[in-house]
Amino acid sequence: MTIKEKGYTHWDGEFQDKKFPWWPITRYGIKLTFRKKFFKLFFPASFLLAVFFLAGIYISERLDDFKSMFGESVPSLQIDPAYFKTYLAGGFLLFIMLIMVIFCGSGLISDDLKHNALQLYFSRPLKKRDYFLGKTAVIVFFLFLLTLVPGFVFIIMKMIFAGSFKFFLSYPWLPLSVIAYSVLVTAFFSFYTLFLSSLNKSRLFVAILIFGIYFGSEILRAIFYENFHNHHFSLLSISANIQQVGAVIFNQKTPYPIHWILSLLVLTAFCILAGFVLKKKVKGVEIVK
Amino acid sequence: MSIEVNDIHFNYGKIKALDGVSLDLPQGAIGLLGPNGAGKSTLIRIMLGFLSPDRGEGRILGYDIKTQQEGIRRHVGYMPEDDCFIPELDAVSFTSYLGELSGMPRQEAMKRAHEALYYVGLEESRYRKVETYSGGMKQRLKLAQAIVHDPRLIFLDEPTSGLDPQGRTEILDLIMDISSKKDIQVLISSHILPDIELTCSYVVILNKGQLAAQGEISKLKEIRDLYELKIKGEAQEFFRKLEEMKCRLEETEDGLLKVYTPPGYNQQEFFRIAAEENVQLRHFVKSQSTLEDLFADAVGVD
Repeated sequence: MTIKEKGYTHWDGEFQDKKFPWWPITRYGIKLTFRKKFFKLFFPASFLLAVFFLAGIYISERLDDFKSMFGESVPSLQIDPAYFKTYLAGGFLLFIMLIMVIFCGSGLISDDLKHNALQLYFSRPLKKRDYFLGKTAVIVFFLFLLTLVPGFVFIIMKMIFAGSFKFFLSYPWLPLSVIAYSVLVTAFFSFYTLFLSSLNKSRLFVAILIFGIYFGSEILRAIFYENFHNHHFSLLSISANIQQVGAVIFNQKTPYPIHWILSLLVLTAFCILAGFVLKKKVKGVEIVK
Repeated sequence: MSIEVNDIHFNYGKIKALDGVSLDLPQGAIGLLGPNGAGKSTLIRIMLGFLSPDRGEGRILGYDIKTQQEGIRRHVGYMPEDDCFIPELDAVSFTSYLGELSGMPRQEAMKRAHEALYYVGLEESRYRKVETYSGGMKQRLKLAQAIVHDPRLIFLDEPTSGLDPQGRTEILDLIMDISSKKDIQVLISSHILPDIELTCSYVVILNKGQLAAQGEISKLKEIRDLYELKIKGEAQEFFRKLEEMKCRLEETEDGLLKVYTPPGYNQQEFFRIAAEENVQLRHFVKSQSTLEDLFADAVGVD
């Protein structure tokens, strides 16, 4: 049907004053991530570690059964905050989270820069804050699935398997630790990913940056430590800083003998710097002077 | 008036992009003309609230350009000049997504996206990913996203750039339908003067960040009369005397002299000066000035 036959028609609906104007950005961000071919393979695999730890919780409650089957050689398995720390702040989960943000976050801003889409967003009644919230919420969604959700599932399943609230009563602060750590690590990875995504128009290059800087910082820490034997060089490493703060949140001994506040300060400073750069880089119009 | 701006100044560092531009535009289709760097895009960006003016004020559809940008953007559609899209989305999802971001409910946005795509002639390819679209289809898609939320005012930045003649005609048909048959105001920024002449009745011409001319095209054309002359004899003094009388002269390659006369000019003056300077007038016709003449006159180029 051509224009001559149909003509323009007005819309007779009403605009909504949405409480969360950024929600469509998040919804589409999540939807587009699930459309990625390799993500369909990676996403279920990313929960294997959580399933493994959940199995550990189950076994801890059935140790007597296992002992009767395999004898006294079955080692005891203690479910305590250290167990949670091992899962949540362990290097393997951080690696899975890194791959997750590469899938869901590397193109979040870089694709918009590449295809000049920022002017489409900002010609709508959206604030810069809404744009960032929408993009951040995509990363938050996927990272909470790896941290906050398993953390609470572990607590609930431990109580179900034990058939009592004893575990919760022993560590009543543990849910708060899970929340605090999940928020911390998710906030850091959100700033880290969006910051790097705003630096280049190529999603692939951003993915390399996300991977390279994370492991580069750890290599740098190891090189400096080998040469100078000073633990303060752990402040150079992203994973070391997260693990330092994570250990404190779960009331465990820190892996490096330096004050955890320094690690928290490094992570916070990075987030502030990233926020500042993001604010400068994301504009409705590119001004060519 | 849906577009009112007053004494707008804007600088990019030391470069003056807009220098005291004031506009008060009527309903209908309005052409925004000017050479490169005249400040057209900057003016549109200020009217959309992308940029805040250094000085001056304005209201678009009654919303203040400095403090109520969200209100402006809810009721204004914008078709940018550059290719812009969100990859991996099909055209329906893309258009409905932008409708939702404008504040439309989700279901309504999807329904309206289908209608907008039908309207611009993309009904057959609306489930194709936008990155597979041709240049002409992308232009139509940009128009669809600009109208999906049924705006009261649409800014179109170079809507026909990169289109083949047929595509250009179709886009111009759509623009004319929107602006003439519905109560939607359209502001078109374009370098293609025939497009503006075809679609607009009112024009704004910017030059070096300043307002060079504005008004109804038909009335602006009447301000200066155009005469076409062919002469024989010593022309130098003849030209000088005409220029002294505020006439603008333009010589074409085939020896035709175009003379734009100021308001109230008596055409008998041509014959008087020709007699004084012993110049023969071999051809003398009062001609119809075009938008191109008007543009050249306003920005001071041949």
